[in-house]
Amino acid sequence: MNEPVVYTEKMKVPSSRLNKMERVWWGTLLPVFLIGVYFIIKGFFMEGMASTYLTDEVPWGAWVAFYIYFIGMSAGSFLLSTLIYGFGMKKYEKIGRAALLSAIVSMITAITFIFLDIGRPDHVFNSIIYWNITSTMAWEIHFYIVYILFLIVELYLSMRGDLIELAKKKNRLAKFYQFLTFGKKEMTKEDEQRDKKRMKILGIIGIPLAILGVHGGTGSIFAVLKAHPFLNSGLFPIIFIMSALVSGTALSISLYVIKNKVLKKPIDTEMVRSLGSLLALFLAIELIMEWYEFLVGTYGLQYEEMQTIGHMTTGPWWWSFWIFQMGFAMIIPLGILFLKRTRTSVNWILTASILTILGVVGVRFNMVVPVFIVPPFEGMPTPNYYPNLSEWVVTFGLIAMFLLLYTLGEKLLPIEEVEYSENGVIEHGK
Amino acid sequence: MGIFSKGEFTEKDWNHLLDRALPDAKQEMAKSPYDSELGFNMAKDARRVINGSLSLEDFHKKYSSSLVKEFGKEYVSETPPRRTGKGPQWAMVIDLRKCVGCDTCTVSCKAENRTPPGMSYNIVLETEVGQYPNVARINLPRPCMQCEKPPCAQVCPTRATYKLDNGIVVIDNDRCIGCRYCMVACPYGARSFDFGKSYEDEMIGFNDVTSPEYGVDRGERKKGKLPEGTVRKCSFCYHRLQRGEEPACVETCIGDARYFGDLNDPNSKVSKLAASPRAFRLKEDLGTGPSVIYLK
Ligand code: SF4
Ligand code: SF4
Repeated sequence: MNEPVVYTEKMKVPSSRLNKMERVWWGTLLPVFLIGVYFIIKGFFMEGMASTYLTDEVPWGAWVAFYIYFIGMSAGSFLLSTLIYGFGMKKYEKIGRAALLSAIVSMITAITFIFLDIGRPDHVFNSIIYWNITSTMAWEIHFYIVYILFLIVELYLSMRGDLIELAKKKNRLAKFYQFLTFGKKEMTKEDEQRDKKRMKILGIIGIPLAILGVHGGTGSIFAVLKAHPFLNSGLFPIIFIMSALVSGTALSISLYVIKNKVLKKPIDTEMVRSLGSLLALFLAIELIMEWYEFLVGTYGLQYEEMQTIGHMTTGPWWWSFWIFQMGFAMIIPLGILFLKRTRTSVNWILTASILTILGVVGVRFNMVVPVFIVPPFEGMPTPNYYPNLSEWVVTFGLIAMFLLLYTLGEKLLPIEEVEYSENGVIEHGK
Repeated sequence: MGIFSKGEFTEKDWNHLLDRALPDAKQEMAKSPYDSELGFNMAKDARRVINGSLSLEDFHKKYSSSLVKEFGKEYVSETPPRRTGKGPQWAMVIDLRKCVGCDTCTVSCKAENRTPPGMSYNIVLETEVGQYPNVARINLPRPCMQCEKPPCAQVCPTRATYKLDNGIVVIDNDRCIGCRYCMVACPYGARSFDFGKSYEDEMIGFNDVTSPEYGVDRGERKKGKLPEGTVRKCSFCYHRLQRGEEPACVETCIGDARYFGDLNDPNSKVSKLAASPRAFRLKEDLGTGPSVIYLK
């Protein structure tokens, strides 16, 4: 993943292939992103919220669903990275920085989604100036800011040794790296030790921050709504965290495997398998929780609860529940990761991960749409909601932004851990 | 007023004119046999009492000894007892047996608050219950309940929604960020988002006035101008209450099904009706404590 300077004769062949792949990648994503930006300007800035299909009855829709989707990805990837830096699980070290990077990029995407969803972007700082301490949302806004800063510091510390190495090279980006390292020349053994300790502390502080603050907190935004009995349960924030772990792990697996396949690098099969069983574990726990959530919910025979479950499982959004949530993000990957023949194959694990990532979109939609289309009173007409064209185009634009930002991060920053063994600067115990 | 100012008087000029006409306070006070300094200080603090930055008790405490010294005991009044009566707690009673489901309240509310298309602070829910021949139509007018413990205010990240001492839950549109969290938190579906729509096409002059709510004159309704992009709701016609009028829906109800008044006053009609065995509130189990009381 380095600059062309290091390419030798032998590497030229893959490098040109890589360039072609990359060109396709950028060539597809950039237009999608730009069209999204066009629609944001045309819709959000010129027409306001009227550019969406949202109504007074269903005031939250696709963008809220994608916002919690990316928050989940972020918290999940971050928690995976704490296993590495906080608890020293060396076997996952290869994906540590990638997980941190995807946590940052997911967070940025999530915040963009929710920023687009508010009616008065010009008033947005009021939520910081006039902090209402009983509002879960106000707490979340504060947590998000702390969390992003936190992630950036942690990623920076984990790369510092490599950044210093890169700053020594004689290419056009050296200046950039010199800037990033504040002109630090050499990484001593003490520095390394100190950074390692800092990382460990940060990783451990980060756990409550990510679980209780960022993700459990985002779940609580929904769970505290007593107007919606389906959401209003103590288990809800925990299910939220669980599906975050699921999507974060799946994202890390996919990013690692796809990247190494594209770059024609060797894949650490052992690690992928182990991550696969971690994913299976998270999925199984989530399934158990979902089961009790639905069991207890149905047993109450309450009007709104029954209506919500009815909408979810048999209403116009049935496919989101059965195909995405239950199929893609639960039963199929669990099956793949359970069967002996498939759970050892990297390709199958990748398939399971990609399906999970797709399926969790449905999980997030089901936390928003079917809940809000239940009217507050019997006798009120039942509304419905589908994202309109503008909402979809913007959504795809922002997903493209997510991928582009991630690719950019991978290109510019020393995200690959492989470099350690190459230049031998840092010896991570093996 | 300057020579070149084209004859436009500003407020300052008028004030200046008045000041010139008034006698000089210092000179006037000097004529009196009593302490001028004390008089000035008391006048200054009296203004603070009026604007609320000084309590009446403190005012009396501060000046009683010097007053006694200056005027003698017989002229000085005691510290008045603290006002014990609470302010009003506005509440509405809706008699469902009198409601005929004519939607007049909805229409008058829209006219009063000039709500845009698709937005209605007050609605009347209508359902048919039972099986033929034992059927009945039920009408349920639903304004905002002005909850005693409003979930909408609890969740608002900016404190743009809050509860007044008189029981009314209001929104500060200048602060609201339009996140719509309050809308999903309200168990009664009583809040609406201003998408910026307008009746201007079918009704000339609709845009001339924005919402008159809370007595704020926002001028013409325009694209991108507040309250567009923020949340709006019923305020018991707070701007009308300030003028001593009833909410529009109460005033126009053809069946006289709505009553409005002060729950803190045990003799008010609403207090008496609220104590009736027919009285109930919607979704009482949620603990929101609505100020809208129904009679079944
Ligand atoms: S009815 Fe809804 S909007 Fe009105 S005070 Fe209660 S929670 Fe708030
Ligand atoms: S939409 Fe406005 S009033 Fe409602 S919760 Fe958000 S900031 Fe508060």
